[in-house]
Amino acid sequence: MHIPDGFLSPTITVPAFAVAAPLWAWAGRKHFGPDRVAALPAVGALTAVAFVLQTIMIPVPGGTSTHLIGATLLALHQGPLVAFVCESLVLLVQALFFGAGGITVLGVNALAMGLLGPLTAWLVFRGLRRVSAAGAAFVAAYLGMQVSSLAVVAPLGLQHHLSPAILPTPLPVLLGAMMLPSLTVSGILEGLYTSLAWRLLERMRGT
Amino acid sequence: MKRDRILLAAWFVACFVFSAITHVWWLMGLLLGMGGLFWRQAARAARRTLLSAVPVTLFIIGVSWAWTSLVLQQRPDGYAYAALGLRTILIAFTSFAVLARVDLLAALAPWPTLMRLLVIILGQIHTLRLLVTESWLGLRSRMPRKPGALDTLRGAGGITSTLFTLANRNARDISDAMRSRGF
Repeated sequence: MHIPDGFLSPTITVPAFAVAAPLWAWAGRKHFGPDRVAALPAVGALTAVAFVLQTIMIPVPGGTSTHLIGATLLALHQGPLVAFVCESLVLLVQALFFGAGGITVLGVNALAMGLLGPLTAWLVFRGLRRVSAAGAAFVAAYLGMQVSSLAVVAPLGLQHHLSPAILPTPLPVLLGAMMLPSLTVSGILEGLYTSLAWRLLERMRGT
Repeated sequence: MKRDRILLAAWFVACFVFSAITHVWWLMGLLLGMGGLFWRQAARAARRTLLSAVPVTLFIIGVSWAWTSLVLQQRPDGYAYAALGLRTILIAFTSFAVLARVDLLAALAPWPTLMRLLVIILGQIHTLRLLVTESWLGLRSRMPRKPGALDTLRGAGGITSTLFTLANRNARDISDAMRSRGF
């Protein structure tokens, strides 16, 4: 789902880094300072789980595949800023050690999958949780996934518009290839996973 | 440590520069140049690139090509797709070659919280991936036929529960161990 290195030029990746870097610094200072040392294991565990989830490819019709993000659960459990930092770390580890995604597109991917999607999910969950927490988690994760997918497609479409020599694939093709699996498969699975895991975590917290 | 940080900074800038190049010959020349510059790490970096970046890149480019041909009813620009593939491979190769020469943990020393979080994550990834694979194999061995999507969903509850319990316990152990060693 995330954008690999080489698909976006510095005209997009540099501004994305310029937006993401202060947010990383602010979130890091606010949530990962010396007084938050006790929370590190839980955050690390959820981040590792998110990483593992992203390595499980779900085949979708048409020969392509999709995967869950797992950051929504982090956002609901620890807050959207923690989810942003943790998802950025997942993307960094994938880029450095597994050759997935990339370092130049880290800002774009982190903003799309770590901030916009989880933030939307967190807001939706806050609005709906009084009705049903598990149902709200499902809806929040589903919508968060769609926002993340759109936020991944948008810079790719912009790149094609700015320079087709860098990315020859036009926006309608990108929209179809990204949004169809997201709307029909991965969004539903992300919703089911988040709802299930949310209930499990609440049960673990209660015991 | 200083050398590591300089090398990391140079790699970071180089990746951005490479991502703006659209000429196939330039990209091929740079790929050869990087192979020569990092000749000691070249074989390992090439192997890692072939195993990780190349299949994904070819797959994405293939799907993009097919979709574009289907939607627009015309053959897309092959040169641009070739440059796209080469650009991705060049950046992946350079990244693997540089990172093989850098001590990442030493470079991250000024940010102990980040280092601890990274160690916790890296320490668990292998265990969790093994757990997922073993759970899937266990589910498969318990069924006379290949498990479908519904079977996997039904089994997901147990896997998720174990995944969280194990991840929490491991993360606490690693964090405590690092704290007791002065990190």
